Amino acid sequence: MNEYKTTVGIEVHAELKTKSKIFSNSANNYGKMANTCTNVIDLGYPGVLPTVNEKAIELALRAALVLNCKINKKMHFDRKNYFYPDNPKNYQITQNRTPIGINGYVEINVKDGKKKIRIHDIHIEEDTCKSIHNKNKSMLDFNRAGIPLVEIVTEADINSSEEAMKYLEKLRELLLYADVSDCKIEEGSMRCDCNVSVSKTEKLGTKIEIKNIGSITNVGVAIDYETKRQIELLENKKNLKEETRRFDDKTNSTILMRIKETGNDYRYFPEPDIPFIELSDQYIKDVYNNLPMLAEERRKIYLKSGINEVNVQKIIQNRIISDYLNRFIDKKINLVIASNLLLGDIAAYLNKYEIKIENTKLTDDKFIDIVNYLDSQKINSKVFKTILDDIMEEDLSIDEILEKNGFKEINNEELVDIIKDVLKNNEQSVNDYHAGNTRAIKYIMGQIMKETKGNANPKNINLILEDLLNK
Amino acid sequence: MDKLTREQVMHVAYLARINLEEDDIEKYRVQLKKLIDDIDKIKDIKNYDEEFLISPIEHNTNLREDVVGQMLDYKEVIKNAPNSNGNFVEVPVMINE
Repeated sequence: MNEYKTTVGIEVHAELKTKSKIFSNSANNYGKMANTCTNVIDLGYPGVLPTVNEKAIELALRAALVLNCKINKKMHFDRKNYFYPDNPKNYQITQNRTPIGINGYVEINVKDGKKKIRIHDIHIEEDTCKSIHNKNKSMLDFNRAGIPLVEIVTEADINSSEEAMKYLEKLRELLLYADVSDCKIEEGSMRCDCNVSVSKTEKLGTKIEIKNIGSITNVGVAIDYETKRQIELLENKKNLKEETRRFDDKTNSTILMRIKETGNDYRYFPEPDIPFIELSDQYIKDVYNNLPMLAEERRKIYLKSGINEVNVQKIIQNRIISDYLNRFIDKKINLVIASNLLLGDIAAYLNKYEIKIENTKLTDDKFIDIVNYLDSQKINSKVFKTILDDIMEEDLSIDEILEKNGFKEINNEELVDIIKDVLKNNEQSVNDYHAGNTRAIKYIMGQIMKETKGNANPKNINLILEDLLNK
Repeated sequence: MDKLTREQVMHVAYLARINLEEDDIEKYRVQLKKLIDDIDKIKDIKNYDEEFLISPIEHNTNLREDVVGQMLDYKEVIKNAPNSNGNFVEVPVMINE
């Protein structure tokens, strides 16, 4: 018996990070009190005219470029007609015939290397209003109506839940680092719909759409569930119908929403209120050249600086940390120590006090000093932990903080005296060392650290100790 | 267009969520057929510029700067809605969403 092959295509809607909406100048500020960020254009009043937000075009172009798309330099909008309370105009302004980008791809890592997931197109459209459903009524919030979106549509190139999740993680990373969208799936600023089919032959099976999946992990769960459900139906000689199903995260299953309307029912036609938009070669070039540093480039720099792969991934997953670390790339500091601090003690501090790094007293100079002091072992991590609160809260330099906390670096003369005393008081250990017991040296080291309260540079201690022991 | 069927009229009515009375179906079928035939005359034009049909305006869209302007008070927003609930516009529950 032939094995079934799963085929998945994914549509992602991502909200663009603009200040105002796509066709009106009301605020793109979803999350405010319901219906306080709207005007007559968002509400679809008769006679109003849309005006296109230039930032939305720029951000959509960025997205198209990072997805390696061919750009439609002359584009227009279309009306997608449908009757539904989430859109009072009874049509959504979208791009049907001239999407801003076509024929792109996203590369993901798979078992046998890399795989290209082809992007069919990326187009610009307006978001609909948010509906909250109660038992008997639906409540509408038009704050979301008109927020600029890009919809990114893949070809049916994905063959497993794992590939789907990898694609979405990569896509999210690209959009996030290109500053296109904040891609918060749980808040709805990135939404995923999957088309899943199974087939034993090269011919694709019946396509079933799954909507309403609230996390990348759940996309995987939904695809696995749907694959199993479809195979079971086919094995029981049941026919599948094109339909839309909803993912239910309480039961990890999919539930029928509706039999799919066909594309023709949307009666697309060109939006007559918006003339053509032309993107010049120079404009496209400028947008490309002004892209922020993307995750892939950051990854290369971090790995080259010696940061391990696990930490590199942790940094990339946290854009704020990555941006912070990037400020020091050209400062010739030890980026491994810098990243360990940011991911470790500093992150813990920020979490503990629920504070942002820019709202602390940690200046760039202080950060450079602390990394250099740790790097040259002028202080150790124990000392750093002790003074961390002061570093984050006091308007003092690192030297001043060290002094304030009683950590005064011991000079070499003082250090020689302390070590001599320790050796004198631990004659037995010195004899053990000379008798070949290497563990004895550790004990002596511990005694010295105790006497110096961690204020001496371990490298210096080693040098002096070796010198004195071998005299 | 050769023929506009009764089923097509009912389908269009469904898409617009309009309930047609039995007597109206034929009336609208005739009217709609005439409308479509008129629109079909576009096909008779030879060598027409398709872009002209998309937008007859010679210049491109003027893009708007991304600046927030004045917005409506929510009371204005819900004023014309038949039903509201707090800040929200309220509509019959949407099933099959």
